[in-house]
Amino acid sequence: MSYDMIAILMFASMMLMLLTGQRVFGAIGFVGAAAGMLLWGTGGVEIPFSAAMKLMKWYPLLTLPMFIFMGYVLSESKIADDLYKMFHVWMGPVKGGLAIGTIGLMVLISAMNGLSVAGMAIGATIALPELLRRGYDKIMVTGVIQAGSSLGILVPPSVVLVLYAMIARQPVGQLWLAGVVPGLMMATMFIIYIYVRCRLQPELGPPLPEEERNVSMAEKLRLLRAGLLPLVIFAAMMVPFVKGWTSLVESSAIGAMTAFLAAIVKGRMTRAVFETSVRSTLAISCMFMWIILAALGFGAIFDGLGAVKAIESLFTDQLNLNPWMILILMQLSFIVMGTFLDDTAMLVIVAPLYVPLVGELGFDLIWYGVLYTITTQIAYMTPPFGYNLFLMRAMAPPEIGLRDIYISIIPFALVMVVALSLVMIFPQIALWLPDYVYGK
Amino acid sequence: MPKPVLAYIRAIDAMNRFIGRIAMYLIFVLVGVLLWSSISKTLFSPSHWTLETAQFVMVAYYVLGGPYSIQLGSNVRMDLFYGGWSNKQKAWMDAFTVFFLMFYLGVLLYGGLSSFAYSLGQPYNVGTYEFFGDLIRTLFTQGFDAAGEKLGHLERSSTAWRPHLWPVKSLLCLGIFLMLLQCLAELFRDLGRIKGEAI
Repeated sequence: MSYDMIAILMFASMMLMLLTGQRVFGAIGFVGAAAGMLLWGTGGVEIPFSAAMKLMKWYPLLTLPMFIFMGYVLSESKIADDLYKMFHVWMGPVKGGLAIGTIGLMVLISAMNGLSVAGMAIGATIALPELLRRGYDKIMVTGVIQAGSSLGILVPPSVVLVLYAMIARQPVGQLWLAGVVPGLMMATMFIIYIYVRCRLQPELGPPLPEEERNVSMAEKLRLLRAGLLPLVIFAAMMVPFVKGWTSLVESSAIGAMTAFLAAIVKGRMTRAVFETSVRSTLAISCMFMWIILAALGFGAIFDGLGAVKAIESLFTDQLNLNPWMILILMQLSFIVMGTFLDDTAMLVIVAPLYVPLVGELGFDLIWYGVLYTITTQIAYMTPPFGYNLFLMRAMAPPEIGLRDIYISIIPFALVMVVALSLVMIFPQIALWLPDYVYGK
Repeated sequence: MPKPVLAYIRAIDAMNRFIGRIAMYLIFVLVGVLLWSSISKTLFSPSHWTLETAQFVMVAYYVLGGPYSIQLGSNVRMDLFYGGWSNKQKAWMDAFTVFFLMFYLGVLLYGGLSSFAYSLGQPYNVGTYEFFGDLIRTLFTQGFDAAGEKLGHLERSSTAWRPHLWPVKSLLCLGIFLMLLQCLAELFRDLGRIKGEAI
């Protein structure tokens, strides 16, 4: 069988298996295992299991359960509530200020955990009702929370970049640093958009009424202390890591411990919170691990059978495209796939296909990691099948319908596409910080 | 549903839930090991056992917690079509496609057992199952020491600490096997749903 046929066959049967709605790890694992048995020859049967050993030996993967645990402790114990109050009081008087404050809140939450779910949960349960009550436009607010929470996977610590690092064999530390500036840039772009929009249409985001603005300076300063918590957690994690005292994995354990202790000190670690966060951590970690296990097996077989080479030759020789066109085409297909594929599945399916190709084309894999993450962010929230859309629907109050959610993300998705293009045209936005720190 | 099938579902659910609930707390062991690693590194000489211990704990965490995570329904599915089906339609499809999942787990277990046998020093001219059969037979007929004689060169990790690899490989095999048992229970549950019995 030719390489092209193998690539098409494996990919098509995987898509078909996924469409049946069987658990993603089962669908991917089955296609990998079957191809290993039928097409590989001797030893093919053992590849799926050898992926388990590869998974075990991949050190940075230990950060995954740590950050998941941290995220659940933060969102379940609601220690982030005070943070919202802080932004509320300080940003309230500005037109659209509460929405801008929500973006700020999301950046802080993103700096404390590596998934977008925690930000989404905090935004939808705390910020959303408050903003609606103060007369903010519901479509605007919904978009703000979705766009803001997606920063969680770009600002370090990011779980998506950890997974990418595993597949692309790149150092996690550099990838994380590469995400900092684009993440902050994107947050700033969101804020500029909200500010300008609320200037032009003040009814979308009215400033707080006079009586609510009347908060004493002492009270305002007291609220500012809430901002210390994310700083403490972030510093406890990042300072020892950047100083080289601890490894990345050890730092993630320190972060998890700090968040856990903070919840205890604040008296928020009740039995129910403890149970939910520990159990959800197991559930989500297992989900991720089994998918990665299956995808590693699939990837090894897919690659070993020459399918990656086939895709590469399709792009370069047969279609005769230049590297940049291929790159743009890949990002586009990524967004399209993201609209109907589950996010985690997409992450582990797309990366093994595209990352080797990007390397072959001579692009920087750290830089591509950032592009990859931003594209994932966009794909997460583009209709009809963005993962974030459904999460939002599940968490938002009933007056916000699926239609509102669909409309709400359009301007933010456009801002993100602009950010993506900026990082593509000026790679230095992503690469400046890691180059500076690691002194390349 | 016949009584033995119901008993099987209940027994497997209870056992995997129990094991999963224990595995759930391993997250704190993981945090502890990694914290010790950073403390010992800063204050005195770094301990060289922490890294691999953490990795072994992580394997136990996800592989023993796997069946429980299936019970919790946390394994994502692509719900493009699936999401729109009725419970009965879902049960029909699952009852069919779960065999693909079990096939994958079977392949994993096959590879796992052969890798486990290798880690116990299986002689190159003896098959995997022959080796395990011989080992178990000796253990029951002639006792522990005689079975120990049957083992060959035990595989070790190629690091400074050089731990044996058979404990983690046996753990992997056990976890995959428990996954298979859980999937079989899920199949029976779906068959029950098709007949209109909720279990």
